[in-house]
Amino acid sequence: MTRINKFKAVMWFLVGFGAAVGIARFLSGLGATTNLTDLTPWGFWIGFDVMGGVALAAGGFVVAAVVYVFHLKEFKPISRAAVLTAFLGYVAVVGGLLFDLGLPWNIWHMIVYWNPGSPLFEVGWCVMLYTTVLALEFAPVVLEMANHPILGRIHGFLKRFTLPLVILGIMLSTLHQSSLGSLALIMPHRLPPLYYTPILPVLFFISAVGLGLMVVMVEASVTSYLYQREQETDLLAKLGKGASAVLWLYFVVRIGELAVSGELGLLWEGSFTSNLYIVELLLSTVVPALLFLHPRVSGSAGGLFSAAVIGVLGFVLNRTAVAGLAMQAGIGDHYFPSWMEFAVSFAIVAAAALAFMFLAERLKVWEKPALSPSDFSKAAPLLEPNGELWVPDPAAGIYMGRPARLSLAFVIGAALAFAISPSRAFESAEPVPSPARPALVSSAVMVIDGDRDGDFVQFEHNRHIAFMGDDASCGKCHHMRLPKSKAGPCADCHRDMDGQTDIFNHDEHASGLGGNKGCMTCHIDPYKPKTRAVAGRCFECHGDMVAKGSRVKLKNESFAVPAPSYRNAMHKMCITCHQEKAAKNPALKGLDQCANCHRVTPGASDPKHPDFVPAFKERYKAQDQETGHPI
Amino acid sequence: MTKAILTDVTRCIGCESCVKACVEEYHLGEYEKFRWVRGDGLSASRFCSVLRRPGRLYVRKQCRHCIEPACASACPVGALHRLPNGPVVYDKEKCLGCRYCMMACPYGIPRYEWESPVPGIRKCIMCYKRLEQGRQPACTEACPVKATIFGDRNDLLNEAKARIKANPGKYKHKVFGEKEVGGTSVLYISPVDLNFLFLGGESRTEVFPKLTEAAMHAVPPVFLAMGALMGGLWWVCERREKNMAKKRGPDDHRPPGNGQGGGAVDTEGDQAQPGGTANQETPGEEGPGK
Repeated sequence: MTRINKFKAVMWFLVGFGAAVGIARFLSGLGATTNLTDLTPWGFWIGFDVMGGVALAAGGFVVAAVVYVFHLKEFKPISRAAVLTAFLGYVAVVGGLLFDLGLPWNIWHMIVYWNPGSPLFEVGWCVMLYTTVLALEFAPVVLEMANHPILGRIHGFLKRFTLPLVILGIMLSTLHQSSLGSLALIMPHRLPPLYYTPILPVLFFISAVGLGLMVVMVEASVTSYLYQREQETDLLAKLGKGASAVLWLYFVVRIGELAVSGELGLLWEGSFTSNLYIVELLLSTVVPALLFLHPRVSGSAGGLFSAAVIGVLGFVLNRTAVAGLAMQAGIGDHYFPSWMEFAVSFAIVAAAALAFMFLAERLKVWEKPALSPSDFSKAAPLLEPNGELWVPDPAAGIYMGRPARLSLAFVIGAALAFAISPSRAFESAEPVPSPARPALVSSAVMVIDGDRDGDFVQFEHNRHIAFMGDDASCGKCHHMRLPKSKAGPCADCHRDMDGQTDIFNHDEHASGLGGNKGCMTCHIDPYKPKTRAVAGRCFECHGDMVAKGSRVKLKNESFAVPAPSYRNAMHKMCITCHQEKAAKNPALKGLDQCANCHRVTPGASDPKHPDFVPAFKERYKAQDQETGHPI
Repeated sequence: MTKAILTDVTRCIGCESCVKACVEEYHLGEYEKFRWVRGDGLSASRFCSVLRRPGRLYVRKQCRHCIEPACASACPVGALHRLPNGPVVYDKEKCLGCRYCMMACPYGIPRYEWESPVPGIRKCIMCYKRLEQGRQPACTEACPVKATIFGDRNDLLNEAKARIKANPGKYKHKVFGEKEVGGTSVLYISPVDLNFLFLGGESRTEVFPKLTEAAMHAVPPVFLAMGALMGGLWWVCERREKNMAKKRGPDDHRPPGNGQGGGAVDTEGDQAQPGGTANQETPGEEGPGK
C-alpha cells in the first residue's frame, strides 16, 4: 500500500504544480509561459503531449486487434487495461492540446468549419471519434458494476457491438496515427532531408503498432509492481516478440527509404540532425528489437520492462524530433522548453496516471481486483483527500484544515503569483545593445550611418553652416553640452543605436566629483534617500548645456530623461527642419521625402567622388575593429 | 484578375515608408518583444519590414500571398483562405490558435500574438478592404520612389520582364515569385538571389498544399481498406477456429460474432495454435505498409 501511496503522492504533487502553472498560462498567455517563438511555434506541448501522447495511446487498438480480430484470447487479461490506458491517453492528449492552443475554447470549431485538405483537420476528427469509440469500448466495464436494469440493458447492447467498435477503432487509429506523420509533409523547408520523406505517414503507422505493444508492456509491468499483481511475464514476452517483428519491419522500411532516396550518406554527417537520427533509431527500434529476441531478456520481467521503456522513450524522442526537434538546425532558431512547459506536460501525464489508478481500483480492469477491500481503509490519512491534516506541533497540535483545501489554495495562490508578476519576469533574452557610432566628419560633408549597414546618408555640413548663419549658427543644431564644446559627439548621450538610453552617466559624475565625497553635490538633502528624484537638475550645474536658440530642447524636470536612440535622434533632427522648410516653401516640395536623403550614396557611382565611400568605409572598419562591432 | 505587388529591389532606398504606412493603416503598436521575434523584423505588430542586405540593397519582406497558400491548406478550420483576387486573409473568429499555419508557411510569415492571453495570427492581408474600395494597399501607395507597385499580376509580370529585358546587367534574369511554391502574388526583381526570404534559406519549387494532398486523398480508401482487411482477417480467424473446434469435438459452444464471453474465462481450446502468436500478428501490421 505504501508503494501506491508514495506513487500517488508524487503524482498529486506534479498535478498541483502543473495546475498552478496551467492557470498562469491561461491568464498571461503562451508567450510568458513557453519558450516558443515566431520561428518555433510548435514545441514540447505538441511534440510530447500531442504527437507522443497519441503514439503512446496506440496500445489500445493494437491489443484490441490482437484479441478480437486475431482471436488470440490469451491476451484478454491485459486488454481492458490497454483500452483504458488508450482512452485516458487520448483524453490527456486533448487536455494537453487545450494548453497549447491559443484559443482552446474554439476547439469545437473543427466540427463546424471544415477544411478536409488539412491533415490536422483529419487528425482532429479521428481523435474525436476514436476517443468516443474507446469510451464505448470501455463503457461495458463501467456498466457491469451497476445493478440497474436499464444500465444492464445498455451494457448488453454495447457488448454486442464490441467487434464492430474494435474494427472501427482500428480504422480510425490507422488514419490518425499515420496522419500525424502527414502533418510534417507540408514542412519540407523545416524538416531536414534525413527526416523528410513522403512515406512519413506509413512510418508513423508501423511504429505506432510496435510502440503500442511496448506501451502495453510498460503499463502492465508498472501496474503489477504498484499493485503487487502477478506479473504476466510470458504474455509480455509474446508481446515483445510481436513488437520485435514490427520494429524490424519498421527498421527495414525506414532505412530502405533512405537507401532508395540516396540519403543514406547523410547518416554519417556528424551533424546534430544525423546524431539525433541515429540515437533515436537505436533507442526506439534497434535496441528493443534486439533485446526482445534475447532469451535472457524475454525470460525476465525486469528485462522486458527495461527493453520496452527504452523503446517507448525512443519513440517519444522520434515524435518530438519530427514535430520540431530535428528542425532546429535548419531554421537557425534555438528552442528549449521552459520549466513551465515541462511542469504542465508532466502534470498531464500524472493526472492520467491518477485517473487510471482511480478507475483500476474501482472497476474490474484485471481478473483480480487491484485492491482488496481492506486495502482501501489502510490508505495513509495524510493522502486521503478528506482526512484532516495536523501540524506536528508538540504544544498544541494546531488544526490546519483539510489537505485537499490547502492544496487547492496553494495551487490558486501560486497561479496568481505567476500570473500577476510582470511578463518581464519570465524573459530569457534581451535585445543585444548596439552602441552608437558617431558620424564621421570631413571638411565639407558629414556621413551618418544611422542604421550601421555600411550605407551612409550624406550631410552637407558646410552648406548647412553657411545657410544657418556661419559661426553663430552652431547652437541651432548642437547642444554644446560641455564648456567650450561646439559639437560634442551626439553618440555620447544617444549611446544606443536602436534603443533608448539614459542621458545621465552616473559613474562619470561620481568619479568626477571625487567618489563618495561628491554624493552631496547632487543629492543635496542628506536625510533623503539618494535617488534620482531628490537629486538636483542638470541645469543647476550645467548652465551651458543647451545653446541659446537651439532647436534641441532639453526637458528640465529631472535627471530622468531618456535619450532617444541614435537613429531616432538623427532622424528627428533632420526631418523636423526639412518638414518645416518644405511646408513653407513650395519650391522645396519633396524635401521631407525619405528619398531626399536616403539615396544610394552618390560616391558609389559618381565619377567626381570615386573614393568617397570606400574611404569612409575603411575608417569605419578600423573603428569597428577597435570597438568590436560588425559593420 | 489576380492582384499583385511588384517590388524592385534596385529601386528601394530603405526608407521604410511602407512599414510606416502599414503601421498607421492597422494601428499597430510598438515592436514586439525581442524574445518572440526573430531577425527579420516581422512580428505580430509589423506586417512588413525592410531587410538590409549587403551591397546597399533593401528587400521588403511581407506575406507573399501564394496562389496556392500552404497556410490555408494547413489550417484545420479554414481560418486562413485566399480571396479570388489574390489576398490571403485571416479570420480570427474561426481560429483555434494551433499555429500549424506558422509551421507550414515556406516563408515563415504568419506571426503570433505571444503576449496576449487571447492570441491570434497576424500577417499582411494585402489591404483587402482597401482593394474592395478600389484603392491600392497602403504600402505601395506610400512608396516615395515607386519601388513597390500594385497592379494586376499579369501586368506586373510583364512589367517585371520588361525591366529585366531593358536592363539585363542590373537584374537576375528571373521574376522571384513567378514560379516558386506554385507562384505568389508578391513578386520581386532583384540583382541578387532572394532565397533568404525562404525559411531555411533555400528556394522551394514544390507546391506546398500538393505535398499533403496525396496523403489526404489516400485517407478514404485506406479507411475502407483497413475496415475490409480487419473484417476479413476476423472472418478467417473465426472460421479457422471453428474448424479446429469441430475437428477436436463438439465442445465449442460459442456463437459466431460474440467472441468474448463477458469477461468469462475462455475454453482452453485457444492454446491449440502453437507458434501462432508472431505469425498471426505480422500480416495485420504489414498490410498497410505494403
